[in-house]
Amino acid sequence: MTRRIVYALQFSILLLVLGFVGVADASTSYKRTIESYTMPDVVLVNQDGKKVHLKELLQSDKVVIVEFIFGTCTTICPVLSAGYTNLQQKLAPDTQKVRLVSITIDPENDTPGVMKEYLKRYRAKPGWDFLTGSRSDIDKVMNSFNAYVSNKMFHTPLTLIRLPKDGKWVRVYGLMSTSEFMEECKKAGVK
Amino acid sequence: MPRSQYAVRLAGGLLFLSSLLFATVSSAATLSIGERIYREGVLPSGEPVQAVLRGDVLVDGTTFTCISCHLSSGLGSFEGTVRTPPTNGVKLYQPLKISYNTSGVLRAPMLRPAYTDQSLAEALRAGVNSSGQALNDVMPRYMLDDPDMAALIAYLKSLSSQPSPGVYDGKLHFATVITQDVSAEEQEALMVPLENYITKRNNQVKVYESSPKLARVTEVMFGTKQAVSMKLSLSKWMLKGPPETWRSQLDEYYANDPVFALVGGITKGGWKPVHDFCEENRIPCILPITDYPVVSGTDWYTLYYSKGYYQEGESAARYLNSRENPVNDEAVVQVVRDSPEGRALSEGFVATWLALGRKTPVTVTLKEGETLTSDILHGLAVKEKTPCILLWDGPEALPALDLLATGNDRPDTVIVSSGYLGKSLWTLGDQAREFTCLTYPYRLPQDEARQKAYLMTKGKMDVKGDAELVLKRTHSLILVLAQAVMDLRGDYYRDRFLDAISMMQDLQAPLYERLSFGPGQRYASKGCYIVQLTKGPDPQMVKKSAWVIH
Repeated sequence: MTRRIVYALQFSILLLVLGFVGVADASTSYKRTIESYTMPDVVLVNQDGKKVHLKELLQSDKVVIVEFIFGTCTTICPVLSAGYTNLQQKLAPDTQKVRLVSITIDPENDTPGVMKEYLKRYRAKPGWDFLTGSRSDIDKVMNSFNAYVSNKMFHTPLTLIRLPKDGKWVRVYGLMSTSEFMEECKKAGVK
Repeated sequence: MPRSQYAVRLAGGLLFLSSLLFATVSSAATLSIGERIYREGVLPSGEPVQAVLRGDVLVDGTTFTCISCHLSSGLGSFEGTVRTPPTNGVKLYQPLKISYNTSGVLRAPMLRPAYTDQSLAEALRAGVNSSGQALNDVMPRYMLDDPDMAALIAYLKSLSSQPSPGVYDGKLHFATVITQDVSAEEQEALMVPLENYITKRNNQVKVYESSPKLARVTEVMFGTKQAVSMKLSLSKWMLKGPPETWRSQLDEYYANDPVFALVGGITKGGWKPVHDFCEENRIPCILPITDYPVVSGTDWYTLYYSKGYYQEGESAARYLNSRENPVNDEAVVQVVRDSPEGRALSEGFVATWLALGRKTPVTVTLKEGETLTSDILHGLAVKEKTPCILLWDGPEALPALDLLATGNDRPDTVIVSSGYLGKSLWTLGDQAREFTCLTYPYRLPQDEARQKAYLMTKGKMDVKGDAELVLKRTHSLILVLAQAVMDLRGDYYRDRFLDAISMMQDLQAPLYERLSFGPGQRYASKGCYIVQLTKGPDPQMVKKSAWVIH
């Protein structure tokens, strides 16, 4: 254990010496816009197999964050989901004050069982739901967020943050660091 | 030789042998540690590797395993806007250049010099490559100490380091396994289009050989000169006799003809002996035609069209569970013919039903040859007070079902398998159609009639019935095979072949609404409708569910 701690310290120093943390922050670039979206009236299914009325789930007095992912995604989704994990760690113990929603773009493969396993892998806490549904309903949801991809292999890093005060959405195209993600949450009203 | 000298030499020899043995064991242990870090993100201590992402996002290596992006072969992936580069030793320890050169004059610039162990360790820890550039933000920076880093690097050096078997004489060698019980028409529906594809591909190579300019343009698609000129060959491996003898036949075929992969294949029975052969020899087997695939969450080397009968049972369970008024656990009874079809359907239903948190259903088994009477069904409906019977039986069940329809106390729903009933499903009586649902794992016939793409594979072949179903599947097989051969881009490693398929776009195919792929996804079609038949002499299927039921 001591060796691990010493090593973690050495690693942090190495990052600082190489200025890598700075490099990563300096290279941060994501596109941020404010949008209005109309949600389709669809019923999706969550990781517990429970039916969820998407409109009701999203029209909340809490900050709601939506991302499109899929269970066997190789690159982008793990990064997006790690953002959720870290956000929940920072929100703990009140993880439910922000509603995190992951919506699959591979509904054929992403059954409740697959989604539950995925959330477990990312140590999801209450407040984070993973939703699937019929292909046509998922297409409707993607379209309503102007996020439609005809194929899961074309998907892009997108985070959508709903502002409870006026129901508008912050659309973030690109990948955020935890601090950037937290900053966006604060701007949206998370305390 | 004096005895003392002999003893010294013997001792020396033993010492040398033991040191060799130690080195081998040590090397194997090191590789094993490295493999676990690569594949599972777990350290020898059992704890997850720690990593930093995007500068300040702390993550576990178990959620950011190397394999999840660089894939099983270590040759990288492409998804959305991110291309993940190769991470096997062969590629890392060479300068990285753009891998194609279309102009024929200009050389592509070097993207980075070759890594050394030291610069590779620095890249993994600090995210800076061998030319001092920062790696993509999606690449975590891993906190590995020196011994663990050395183990990971040793494993990367071993990854996709030896060319896979089946690549020789300028050809990529494939085989198709067919069992004796398959009709000549069905064999032809598989082999003729496949052989046509191979011939066309090999003829293209001849064209490239005679036109260097065209070959250079084609190199963009195929990655290397070698890949442009790589021909294909196809062997037919016929398996005779009972399944327990197949393994020795496969071993013999393979010893004489060490192929790169198995493509297609057909059997009327189970695929398990071939599946196990491929798993043990690490031979990819893509899209064999079987109603009885091995259903496994972990096996990797065989990619099936679907789970076959198992998938119909699975979909029945999901349908009953997801209905507006879901049935109670106690309300479900299975009547199962003791046959391969009945057992596979029942297995799929029960496994899924239990996974949905339901109780084991009451199961009544019909022995081979036993007649199913309407009294049996009626008795179950009354005695068990069940509103739902799953009837996993063949055409012989239809008279009993029609009789049940005329009586009182019939269940609300009977679910049968379209696959098991075959064409006889269309003879189901009007009254029975009111309460009988069918599992149907294909696009509905009225929609399928509009599918024309497979006609180019069909050509002038005269195929009907089961042979036409084989031909339609072969059409998809050829699309997948042609794409995978191109996507190998000269990296002729078996794992890469499967990795390449896992990165393919979903396919709009004949028969199935959608074929989809992904790392670890081993059943390309995940759907199955629940349908009912309309009344009258010319019934149509009506959907009662979505293609994929959740």
